[in-house]
Amino acid sequence: MVEPEKNNKGFLSGIKVLDLADEKASFSTKLLADMGARVIKVERPGGDSSRWVGPFWGGAPHCERSLSFCYHNMNKLGITLDMEREAGRDIFLKLVKRSDIVVESFLPGYLTTLGLDFECLSRVNPRLILASVSGFGQKGPRRGDKSCDLVAAASGGQMFVSGSPMKSPLKSFGEQAYYTASLFAAFGVLLALRMRRQNGRGEHLDISLQESVASTLEHVMIRYFHDRIIPQRQGGLHWNNLFCILPCRDGHIHMTPFERWETLVGWLKSEDMAEDLHEQRWHDPAYRLKNIDHVLSVFRRWTKTHTRGELFELAQLMRFPWAPVHSIKEVANSDHLKERGFFVDVEHPIGGVPLKCPGPLFRGGLHLKKARKGAPLVGEDNVVVYQKELGITEKEYERLLSIKMI
Amino acid sequence: MDILKDVRVVDFTRMLAGPYATRLLADFGAEVIKIQCGKTAFGGEANDTAYFRTWNRNKRSITLDMTHPEAREILLRLTAVSDVVMENFSPRVMSNWGLAYDDLKQVNPGLIMVRMSGMGQTGPWRNMVAFGSTIQSLSGITSLTSYDKEEPLGPGQAYADHVAGIYGAIAVLAALENRDRTGQGRCIDLSEYEAMCTLMGPALMEVLVNHQDPVPHGNNADYVSAAPHGCYRCRGDDQWCVIAVSNETEWEGLCHAAGHGEWLADERFANIDARKDHHKELDPLIRAWTIEQRAHEVERLLQEAGVPAAVVKNAEDLADDPQLRARDYFVRLKHPILGEDVTDTNPFTFKSFSTSRWKASPALGEANQYVFLDLLGLSEIEFSDYRKRGIIA
Repeated sequence: MVEPEKNNKGFLSGIKVLDLADEKASFSTKLLADMGARVIKVERPGGDSSRWVGPFWGGAPHCERSLSFCYHNMNKLGITLDMEREAGRDIFLKLVKRSDIVVESFLPGYLTTLGLDFECLSRVNPRLILASVSGFGQKGPRRGDKSCDLVAAASGGQMFVSGSPMKSPLKSFGEQAYYTASLFAAFGVLLALRMRRQNGRGEHLDISLQESVASTLEHVMIRYFHDRIIPQRQGGLHWNNLFCILPCRDGHIHMTPFERWETLVGWLKSEDMAEDLHEQRWHDPAYRLKNIDHVLSVFRRWTKTHTRGELFELAQLMRFPWAPVHSIKEVANSDHLKERGFFVDVEHPIGGVPLKCPGPLFRGGLHLKKARKGAPLVGEDNVVVYQKELGITEKEYERLLSIKMI
Repeated sequence: MDILKDVRVVDFTRMLAGPYATRLLADFGAEVIKIQCGKTAFGGEANDTAYFRTWNRNKRSITLDMTHPEAREILLRLTAVSDVVMENFSPRVMSNWGLAYDDLKQVNPGLIMVRMSGMGQTGPWRNMVAFGSTIQSLSGITSLTSYDKEEPLGPGQAYADHVAGIYGAIAVLAALENRDRTGQGRCIDLSEYEAMCTLMGPALMEVLVNHQDPVPHGNNADYVSAAPHGCYRCRGDDQWCVIAVSNETEWEGLCHAAGHGEWLADERFANIDARKDHHKELDPLIRAWTIEQRAHEVERLLQEAGVPAAVVKNAEDLADDPQLRARDYFVRLKHPILGEDVTDTNPFTFKSFSTSRWKASPALGEANQYVFLDLLGLSEIEFSDYRKRGIIA
């Protein structure tokens, strides 16, 4: 393996980012911060609304105890600023002048009403890259519609194909539309940086939550465009019937009911559990598919006699891509993840003990070697940014504080 | 528009996660050369299937039988004139071919290599066989994407493959940024399992910090504070609309739009916490209203009242979606043999973005002449000799 970076800089050191985003896109700037970019989170006085997104450290809601805020904003600096007032806008433009990237997730048009749309920002800094994440995008008839993770999951097509055919469509757990949009935003920003290197100009990236979901549907649109099939919900059974989820003695196993049929049935037979599946007619894949309910019920009787661990271990030895269906607790206790050092400690001023969270993904020197800092407290870096960097005098700073501008 | 036109990628990846990463690069002008072989180009890797065509647009294809010892020399020559090598095999495959990063670096010191395996290059599970949905089961998103604890279901698509793919493309761009500044290449180890786990961060922190094990709760709000927050059946066959209310203004909007002003006076629904506690009483009331309406009417009424709401769209709805159409989200690409492909573009756009130079997916070995003769300078005689001996095959 490659030796880690000698210093603690990361690949994007020197890149300056202003993060105006709430929970819809703050993960995108976390990725940039983890890779060494200097990210300043700009929150309204009192703190961003995403500080009230759970879960909360210790359980009770508190603006400095949101674990999701801590996770999405680690390695960032934090300042507060009222951009809805003239003086706040002027301060913001000073920051824009010194920055490479701004990421925002307001309703389309909001920045225009503040006089801070891309054209205005470009006039101040022609090299600025603006990434805008919104429910439906900056253009189109639905640009003004309200969105959230649930609305994106529905309008982007994920829900319709998830869940049981007998029940309602089902949203993926845990604000996945926001994460997906954030990943695309980070990719887009890096692309725009490269474009800027070529032509010297910034760009306005328009990222849609609806499209972010629609872009991660794997088989769904392919089958529609090529075969005119409208994929339906089929519970724990994979769309191509390659995988299904069956109960075990201690939970559920994710297994392949049709792969290498003879090996699999031989396995059941060795335990006297194959019932009629060894009969010749079941050799025909089309027949198996037609009678899938019977096949699965035989498998179900068999898997129920085993633990997940027994099945998982033997299946992997035979190169079947099976896996236990893990609870989050089991993921957090995974020996594999521990050995790879996936979970890291991040210092956090509240509580006195470091927070444990998933670490940066890439191995090979792309990231900061060690987390630089925890997520900022409300206005934690006001003095550093306003006084030291923008050169605002202490007296003026006190005045801005007193009128709640910062 | 061809932002990555000076980037050449040697692409060993197969199926979805890897090909999605290289598709993102190819979409923006990278010259992605997919290493194929007649022997392995079947199933999801058969060039004429819809699956292959979707994930491999804008790429080139060459045929090289890597199991043949002489293929290694050719591959090293290609690596020497490339910027990036991407692969998503089990960890031992590349080194078995004598193509570990250290071997590749010998011929190209600035080389960027991204290794996208299921579990990563190290750790006790490194050789595990895994697909996108396997990884979803391992990462906890399957158990939590369910109505209840008794029956885990998970997302209805291989979502984790997309996640790993976007991360893979991010890794390439960040490593290029670094190489442009320092001249140094990198070998990046990307585990799809970990990629999926980064998107389960808050749930994992519930365990790691709070020592709580989160349980599935259907379409109720996960970590945002919202109620009602659910999916409601509407008039017609399998028609649904989602509604998410995260403040009292939106709640008022919903009550008035539904013609049920009296809900505002009901103490059980007085605020978000109360509505959460009583969602089993509230949800049937909302459903009694939505079941009488068309899903798009519910969506329109609520959006006009300032309430986040949306029709649950199926594939056909998406293909006809006015918003997606207005944004040219889908694109038609002419395939020289197979006709026309309609595929999605990407969920972000910018002023100078254009798909005018996009191409449909390649036929097997379509770029053999270009790569072996023009790029690597093999003579016609060498080329036909390699072909005869089944190395270029």
